Amino acid sequence: MSNRLLLATFEHEDDLLAATTAVRKKGLHIVDAFTPYAVHGLDRAMGLRQSRLTWVCFICGITGALGMLWFEHWTASVSWPIDVGGKPWNSLPSDVPVAFEAAVLLGGFGSVFALFGVSRLYPGKRAHVIRPRITDDQFVLVIGETDAAFEVSVIERLLRDYNAVETEEQIDEGGRIR
Amino acid sequence: MTSSNAVISRASARKLVVATVAGAVLLALSTLFAPDRVWANLLVGSYYLITLGLGGVLFIALTNVCGGGWQAAFRRVPEAMTGVLPVAGVILLATLAMRLGEYGWHHHGEGDVGTFWFKELWLDPKFLAVRAVAYVLLWIAFARALVGRSHRQDTLPPTSNARIHAGMSSVFLAVFAITISLAGADWIMALEPMWFSTMWGVYQFSGLIQATLAVMIVACVLLRRQGALEGVFTDEHLHDLGKLLLGFSCFWMYIWFSQYMLIWYANLPEETSYFISRTHTAWAPVVVGSIVLNWIVPFFVLLPRPCKRSESIMLKVAAVVLVGRWVDLSVMVFPPVVGDLPVFGIPELASIVSMSGLFGLLFAQTFSSAAPVPRNEPFLEESLHYHA
Repeated sequence: MSNRLLLATFEHEDDLLAATTAVRKKGLHIVDAFTPYAVHGLDRAMGLRQSRLTWVCFICGITGALGMLWFEHWTASVSWPIDVGGKPWNSLPSDVPVAFEAAVLLGGFGSVFALFGVSRLYPGKRAHVIRPRITDDQFVLVIGETDAAFEVSVIERLLRDYNAVETEEQIDEGGRIR
Repeated sequence: MTSSNAVISRASARKLVVATVAGAVLLALSTLFAPDRVWANLLVGSYYLITLGLGGVLFIALTNVCGGGWQAAFRRVPEAMTGVLPVAGVILLATLAMRLGEYGWHHHGEGDVGTFWFKELWLDPKFLAVRAVAYVLLWIAFARALVGRSHRQDTLPPTSNARIHAGMSSVFLAVFAITISLAGADWIMALEPMWFSTMWGVYQFSGLIQATLAVMIVACVLLRRQGALEGVFTDEHLHDLGKLLLGFSCFWMYIWFSQYMLIWYANLPEETSYFISRTHTAWAPVVVGSIVLNWIVPFFVLLPRPCKRSESIMLKVAAVVLVGRWVDLSVMVFPPVVGDLPVFGIPELASIVSMSGLFGLLFAQTFSSAAPVPRNEPFLEESLHYHA
């Protein structure tokens, strides 16, 4: 049996937030929410788990800093020792700026590419805009069927309390929303 | 202090008075056996206090200029911090007056080092004193104007005069940038008049803003526990203050290292003297300690999001930063005044206890002088409901 999806369209950010909170409180499964801009507090209302991107950034940053420290040590005092201004070959203070930059560079790039990877974004990917106005002034909440409690008319009535301007039922075709 | 909205009980106020007076008496008695240490402690303590007051004005002015709304709910905290300015100013000016004759270029500019007309003019003790009075008066005037407007707004009809706030605030920011750079150079860098660093002004600012944020965190959390900011100061505010503290801890380290590395690299005798007497003496472990307290601890502890939203962790980190600020200031002041050997004993303890008590008293008194949450504040709703 294929599951059903319910798409609810809202005109206002506050309606979307309130509806999302209410739908989640009912124990319904929220597939996704589409908004023209980042809506503060939506992640919490949807019950999304904490992003792990910060860990990617931290590990990349540490790798960049330590890797560059090692590389500077190797180039300046092992492979080809250079005397700069009479300083010892292995002078930590002179290594810090580059290690710092490498940490920032790797942390930044690591986070961005991890985000692209996780959200499957790549150059030339075709934009899949489920409703034209979600890039402009409308908000769409997608609710998925998980069990028999998914009674469309009941949910529609609930959503209308939160000023849903339109609701549409779809058959879930492998997570692709039309 | 009106008892109706006093934020501390009579008993705690009495304890603070006892701490302040006992510390001051002990510090005064210490002049018998260690006058240099007492003077250094007075300078560290009064500079610490006055920069906290100034930091309060800075936070208000910065958020006004940015049109910030998130801080509206706890704005009375930085406003209350400015209450220390007059008293701290008096202590600082008195401290400078005690040894004004030892400031100045002239007795350094004789002999084989020659003279330099600008330093001779600029570091003339009388001119230095006049400037010090001018800085302090300017800061107090701006603090009164900005805090006064905010207090008056409580009784006015709810209209936004954010633009007027922003105008005066932006003037203050320009005045602040110049005066803190000059004041830091006049009062602390001039303790070693042969030495100079063009990073000094921003170094002073970095420590000031870091300690200011730490005090705001401690004060807001304590006031929430006490009840005055209960349901007003939210975890979102705490989270954002934590982000700022994390950022400015890194900024302090960045500036500290920038100053150190340029001097280390160039290795010029007239520049290295500052670090010779601090990193090549028994002060070295203290310098390392200040880096641990001011950057390593706040950086690693404040990175995870849950830590920035935890009241108890934030209190502890803020306390570490405040100790770090004291260590940082001591490293600036003690070597030229007291000598190459770090000391910690009765004068230092007495000064810390006295200045902390004084800050607590003045803060509580100023905080109690107005409604704990601004009234008729157009940004208040936004501040109570925003997400960090």
